[in-house]
Amino acid sequence: MKPIEPMEPMKTSTLDRIRNNYIVQAWLVLILAICFGGSLASIQLALGPLIEANKINETLQKVPEMILGAEKSQKLSEKQQLVIEPQTIEVSKHNRKVFYNVFKANYPNGRPAGWVAKAIGQGYADKIEILVGMDHKLKKITGLFVLDQKETPGLGNKIITNEWRKQFITKKTTTPLSVTKEGAKAAHEIDAITGATISSRAVCSIINATIKDLRDPLLNRAN
Amino acid sequence: MSYIVDILLIAVGAALINNFVLYYFVGICPFIGVSRKVDMAFGMGCAVTFVISIAAFLSWTITTYILKPGAPLSKWMAGLFVSPEMAANIDLTILCYIVYIFAISSSVQFVEMYVRKFFPVLYKSFGVFLPLITTNCAILFACLTIMSNVAGVDNPADAWDLGRSLTLAVFGGIGFTIAIVIMAGIREELELCDIPKPLEGAAITFVVAGILALAFMGFTGVDSGLKKALTPKTSETVQVQVIHTDRNLASSANYIF
Amino acid sequence: MADAPTPYERFIQGILPENPVYRQLLGLCPTLAVTNGLQAAMTMAGAVAFVLFCANIITSLIRDLLKPHLRIVIFTLTIATFVTIADRFLAAYMYQMSKTLGPYIPLIIVNCLIICRCEVCASKQSVVHAGMDAMGQSIGFAIALGSIAAVREILGTGMLFGIRVLPAVWPDWVVMVLPPGAFLTLGLLLGAVNWYGMQKQDA
Repeated sequence: MKPIEPMEPMKTSTLDRIRNNYIVQAWLVLILAICFGGSLASIQLALGPLIEANKINETLQKVPEMILGAEKSQKLSEKQQLVIEPQTIEVSKHNRKVFYNVFKANYPNGRPAGWVAKAIGQGYADKIEILVGMDHKLKKITGLFVLDQKETPGLGNKIITNEWRKQFITKKTTTPLSVTKEGAKAAHEIDAITGATISSRAVCSIINATIKDLRDPLLNRAN
Repeated sequence: MSYIVDILLIAVGAALINNFVLYYFVGICPFIGVSRKVDMAFGMGCAVTFVISIAAFLSWTITTYILKPGAPLSKWMAGLFVSPEMAANIDLTILCYIVYIFAISSSVQFVEMYVRKFFPVLYKSFGVFLPLITTNCAILFACLTIMSNVAGVDNPADAWDLGRSLTLAVFGGIGFTIAIVIMAGIREELELCDIPKPLEGAAITFVVAGILALAFMGFTGVDSGLKKALTPKTSETVQVQVIHTDRNLASSANYIF
Repeated sequence: MADAPTPYERFIQGILPENPVYRQLLGLCPTLAVTNGLQAAMTMAGAVAFVLFCANIITSLIRDLLKPHLRIVIFTLTIATFVTIADRFLAAYMYQMSKTLGPYIPLIIVNCLIICRCEVCASKQSVVHAGMDAMGQSIGFAIALGSIAAVREILGTGMLFGIRVLPAVWPDWVVMVLPPGAFLTLGLLLGAVNWYGMQKQDA
């Protein structure tokens, strides 16, 4: 019987074929990646500025309303529009730096109109983000708007309603605001929402903290 | 001290209050599909926790060093081709979804290879779930939450560091495990009950999940209570450090509209 | 072996008999998360339709070049790209809605529905089949999302699309717009669809 011959080693051409196969397989992925990358880059170029503008306008559009009130700000003509200057104030609290985004608003002739500060604080469920409008001497509150909240729908959610927010307009900033359930009598009292005392208190404490932190820096800045 | 309070609040929030399954609705597919037996459910929960922490680590690293606006590595790479001022504005966040999903699938592949080689007994018990975890919403959701807290914050001092990101990931996975194990325990009992035919299978699971979600709603507000209890009342000393105009909003240009 | 379904059959199957939510139980994350209100639900259905349609078309065009062990990578890459495009468009032109939908738009990438459709239909059949399949499944998804959102919004807030439809005496069942309401609504509607299917089978 003939002995079994050892097999020939695999020809190099087969090895080459396998190596080529890997590259061939990857070429589709690479080409697709380049195409998709190019399309994403063009989307970024086209839409990036629009998205940035959306983010900024979200707060900027509210500033005249916060300072002048809803009706007056809508009646402003082109020439009477407020000149708004965004600033960042850094405050050191409890050994931590807290940043406040503040908007300074002036009338077109240069006379100061007021300040609007964006503040974040802990609500009942998650963080509450508000815009507080104040007159330029920081003596009273001229407007309040809730930018973002995740409170309970139907209960804490009512902090975004106009009827509840109206209470804050013309409140003086000298005394910290407090929340009562019986009915606001004193000048610094706010009616709580029925069933949402914690959310109401959270908004008041955010406003109190913001005014306390920003009073000195902003008054210094104004002079 | 406040760092530990932060970590604790993120942990409690991710595991109980904002439970991934019962509040954010991510990870529903395995929740319905795998929750028939308690040991299978526990295995799935452990696998998800493991993969979610690896994926969170990868995504935090990539976001902080490559993807976010002005990230160090991409700034250096771009600096080789264009001027430094243009390189400082580099913003690769548009690629983040693609990068995350590939990071997740590759980490799942590596975990599967590793477990199959070094822990064959473990692989037998939950190895079959691992490829399914790639399409588990919970992992991508954790990566997205980390991204929004790293690249999406208004000021850079608030960006999350690695500790907070990993806490969110691990405790999110633990919350997922808690929910799926409770559901498995209930479903084991439901097998012996007389369920109306239309409701058998997924429908009754959803109804039970609704009641579970109602129960977990009782945890709302625990984090603000904990924060109040753990933050010491110090005398408020407010010092003004720096007043500067916001660079990002077009260098103090006036917005007239 | 049965003949592969025609485009028309694909289209009709996607709407009710193979409804992605009620029959295949795919894509449950967005179904529960964005069905607080009808407007958000319809936006999400539109985004999923866009991604599904484009991904199906592209996959079908390159179906002959796909290697078996790289196809999932290619599906994922395609879907992730189109989801990014959809997300950027929403952020640019519907900013408030994009903030409401939040992280659930990127979660379309891991939506089993789209990968399943690419795998089952688009990688095997022509562009026409893939397109009709995508349209059918999208309509089915929109119907499912719309039904759940309508129930939750009407019972939870008395409104539909932001317009009050129930009289003011209706005490809003706030739980319906919260997570438990999502699970309960989906479970009971699923039971209803199953019951309807069983009635048809017995008849």
